[in-house]
Amino acid sequence: MVNKKQIKELLNESTCSHNIEKKSSCNRAKPGATSGGCAFEGAQIALFPFADVIHLVHAPSTCQGASWETRESRTSYKGEDNTPLGYCTDINTNDIIFGGNKKLEDSIKYIIKHKNPKAIFVYETCVTAMIGDNMDSLAKRLEKKYSIPIVVVHSPGFVGGKNLGSRLGGIAILEQLIGTKEPKEIHPYGINLIGEYNVTGDMWQYTPILEKIGIKIVSTLAGDGRIENIQQAHRAKLNVIVCAKSLVTLCKKMEEKYSIPYVSVSFYGKRDTSNAIRTIVGAFKDEKLSKKAEIVIDDEERKLEKKLIPFRKILKGKKAILNTGGNKSWSIASALQDIGIEVVATSIRKATLEDIDIAKKYVPILMKVPANEQAKLIDEHKVDILLAGGRSLYTAIKKRVAFVDVNQEKKVSYGAYNGLINLAKNVCNAVNNPVFKVVGTTAPWEKTND
Amino acid sequence: MTKPLQINPLKLSQPMGSLLAFLGIKNCMPLMHGAQGCASFSKVFFTRHFNDPIAIQTTAVNDITAIVDGGDYSISEAINNITKKVKPDLVGLFTTGLTEVKGDDIKGATYLLKKRMKMVYVHTPDFEGGLESGFAKTIEAIIEQLVVPTKEIDSKKALLIPNVNITPIEVEKIKEQLELFGFKSFALPDLSDSLDGHLGLKQGALSSGGISLENIKNLANCSLVISVGRSVEKCGISMLEKNPNMTHLHFDSLGGLKNSDKFYKALMEFTKVSKPASSIIRWRKRLQDVLLDTHFLIGGANVVVALEPDQINSIVQTISEAGANIKAIIAPTNSMAINELTCKVIIGDFDDVEKILEENDLLISNFHGHRLTKKHNKALMLRGFPNFEGIGYQLKNDSLYEGSSYLLCEIANILEHHRH
Repeated sequence: MVNKKQIKELLNESTCSHNIEKKSSCNRAKPGATSGGCAFEGAQIALFPFADVIHLVHAPSTCQGASWETRESRTSYKGEDNTPLGYCTDINTNDIIFGGNKKLEDSIKYIIKHKNPKAIFVYETCVTAMIGDNMDSLAKRLEKKYSIPIVVVHSPGFVGGKNLGSRLGGIAILEQLIGTKEPKEIHPYGINLIGEYNVTGDMWQYTPILEKIGIKIVSTLAGDGRIENIQQAHRAKLNVIVCAKSLVTLCKKMEEKYSIPYVSVSFYGKRDTSNAIRTIVGAFKDEKLSKKAEIVIDDEERKLEKKLIPFRKILKGKKAILNTGGNKSWSIASALQDIGIEVVATSIRKATLEDIDIAKKYVPILMKVPANEQAKLIDEHKVDILLAGGRSLYTAIKKRVAFVDVNQEKKVSYGAYNGLINLAKNVCNAVNNPVFKVVGTTAPWEKTND
Repeated sequence: MTKPLQINPLKLSQPMGSLLAFLGIKNCMPLMHGAQGCASFSKVFFTRHFNDPIAIQTTAVNDITAIVDGGDYSISEAINNITKKVKPDLVGLFTTGLTEVKGDDIKGATYLLKKRMKMVYVHTPDFEGGLESGFAKTIEAIIEQLVVPTKEIDSKKALLIPNVNITPIEVEKIKEQLELFGFKSFALPDLSDSLDGHLGLKQGALSSGGISLENIKNLANCSLVISVGRSVEKCGISMLEKNPNMTHLHFDSLGGLKNSDKFYKALMEFTKVSKPASSIIRWRKRLQDVLLDTHFLIGGANVVVALEPDQINSIVQTISEAGANIKAIIAPTNSMAINELTCKVIIGDFDDVEKILEENDLLISNFHGHRLTKKHNKALMLRGFPNFEGIGYQLKNDSLYEGSSYLLCEIANILEHHRH
C-alpha cells in the first residue's frame, strides 16, 4: 500500500528552502501545465542502476514499454546487466477485474526459475495501486519461500513527480535492505555514494581518484550498484550526496538511525571536482588523508591543464549562454568557466531555490524566461555559443551562433576532470562547425534572413 | 509454465498510438488523461525517435483527483491552463489505464467544455490493444466526432488513411501518387506535414503541422478513401458512414511489386486511366531490376521480423518477393494482418526474439534489436518504434515501387556488409 503519511513527510523535507519560505510542500502537478516524469520514473532512475537485481514493473504497457533501455547507466557487473532490461507484468483487462496479484506471483516465480536473480525489486504503478493489489504480503511470502530479497517500491505515478519517486525508492531501500547484512571488515574511510547513477560512466571519472587517496566506496545508490553492498551501507562512515537533492531525506534518516553524517557535492568542472574531493576527505578530519588528497588533486589538476591547452586556445574569449535545468544551471556553468569560457547568462526556469542561490555565485545574469530572453542577450553580449536543449536550436540558427545540445551529457560523460575534456571537445566541435551558418543561409526565394 | 510476464517488451501502448494520430492534425494539443508520467514517457520516447519536439499535455491526475474526480475537474483545469499559453484549434483528449480503471466520463467532460474548446475524445486504456489500435481508434473518433456528413462527391478529392507504421515521408509519397492520378489528396492524420523533421519556427508547444480542422470537417465529400494496413481498415468504413457515395479502397500493405501493382490497378480502374504517369512506369522497372539485383543476397537469407503487425505484413511481403526465408515473426499484439502469413507467428517480446535469433541471419526490428544482434553477432535492419540512436527514420520510404526498391537495396547491403 502507498503510505500517505510517508509521502507527506517526504514532501515536507525541511532542508528544501521552499519549505521555509512558503507553507505549502513541494508543488503538485498542474493539469495542462506539467512537464516531467512521475514518481515511478523517479524510482526507476534511482534504483534501476542496480544491475544484479531484476526490476519487475507491475503495470500495463506504457510504464515500462516506453521506458526500458533508455538510460546509459553503466555497470561493471559481470553477470547479465539487468539495468537496461524491461520486465513488466503487462496487466490486462482480466487482471483489472479479478486482481493482478496472481499474475505478479506467477511472474516473480517465473523470474526466479528462469533467471535466478540475486534479488527482485517490484514497482507499484498507478493502475496496480488503484486495483489494490496487496504486493507487500505477497513479496514477504515469496521472500521467505525463495530466500532472496524481494523489495516492494510503492511508486504509483499519481503520487507526484520524479523527485518524490526517487525519495520513495530511497526509502524502500532504507527500510527493506540497508542493514540486512554485515561486512567482513569495516573500512575507516568507507563512503556511500548517494544519488550517483553512473550515467555514461560519470562515476568512474572520479572513483579511481578517491580510491587513490584511500577512500573506499562501500556502496552506491545506485550507479554501478550491487545489492550486497547496499545491504551493508549502514557500516559506511560517510554518505556523499552527488549532485542530487532528492535523496537528502534518506541521508538524514541514515544519520538518525546509524549516525552516518552526510555531505553534498558536485563533480562537474575542475573547481567543483577538487572541492568535492576536499569536502569528502575533510569530513574524516584526518590530516594524513587530507595531505594525500592535496597531492592527488594537484597532480590531477596539472594533468588536466596540460590536456586542456589546445582547447583553451580555441575557446579563449568565447562567450556562452546556458539554458538548462536543475543543478546543471550552475554545475555546467562552472565547468564551462573552467575551460575558459565566459558564461554570460544561465536559465533558472527549472531550478530550485537552492540551485538559484548557487547559480548567483557563478553567473551574472539569471534568466527566468530563457525562451524570451536568450535571443536578446545573444545580441547584446555578442555571444558565441548557446548551450541548451533541442528546443532552442532555432534561436541559435537564427542568431547564427554555435549550438551545443546540453543533453549530450546523456551520451558522453562530462563528469570530473576527464569529463571536462569531453565538454571542451564538444564545445570546440560546435564552435568550429560551419553547419549553423550554412543552415541559417537565406533561401533563394526569401528576401531577408529574418 | 507459459510466460506470465513481458520480458523486454515489443509492445507499445494504445495512448502512445493515439498521441501520434493527434500529432498529424494542425495546431492540435494532444491531452493525455492520466498521471503525468504517461505523457512524459511518451513525449521523451517520440522526441528521441523523431529528433523533434513533441507537443503533448497531461491532466496530471494525482492521488486526490484519482479518487474524488470523475475527470471533469482535471480536464477542465487542463484546458484552462493550456489556453493561458496557447490557442489550439483542437484538443485531442485520450485516456490511459489509470483513468479507465476509475471510469472517467470523458464524453461528458468534453460536452461540458464544448463552448470553450473544440475537442475530440477517445478511450485508449493501455491495458488493452497496442500502438496500432490506439492510432486507429483515434482516427475513428476524429471521423465520428468531426467530419460533417454529406451525400455530395468531389470527384477530384481523395483521402489517405495510413496505419501508424507509415512514416511521414511515405504519407507524402503516397499522397503524391494520388496527385499523379489527378486527385487533390489529403491524409488523416497527416504526419508528413508535422513530424517529417523540418526546421520550423515554432518550439513545439502545439503540433507543428498536419491536416487542418477545417479540412477534416469537409472530408466527407472525398470521392475516394484509401486505407493502408489492416489496423485502419475500419477507419475507411467509418468514412463511408459519413457519405455512402464515397468509394473505399483498402490495402493491407503497399510493400513489394504485387501489392504496388494492386494499388495502381485499383487507381487506374477508379479514375479510368489506362496508362499512369511515366514516373510510375519507370519506378516499376527499377523495382524489377532491384529485385533481380538483390535476390542473390536476400534469397535464402533466414530472417526474423519483430515489429507491429501491419509493418510485419508489409515488409515480409516485400522481401519474400526477393526470396527471403522468413523464419519467424514476433508481434506485440494479435492481428489479422499476420494471421494469414505462412511463417511461424509468435505474439511475444524480445525474450522470444532472442530465443530464435541464434539460427537466423537477420533481424528486422527496432532500436532494442541492437543489443541482441550485437550479442549474437547477427545483422540488423532498423524499422519500427523506437529508433533512438538512428537518424532520419521519418525519411525512410518502404512503400510502392520506389520505396520497395530502397528497402530491398538496404537489406541486401546490410546482409553483404555483415557477411564480411
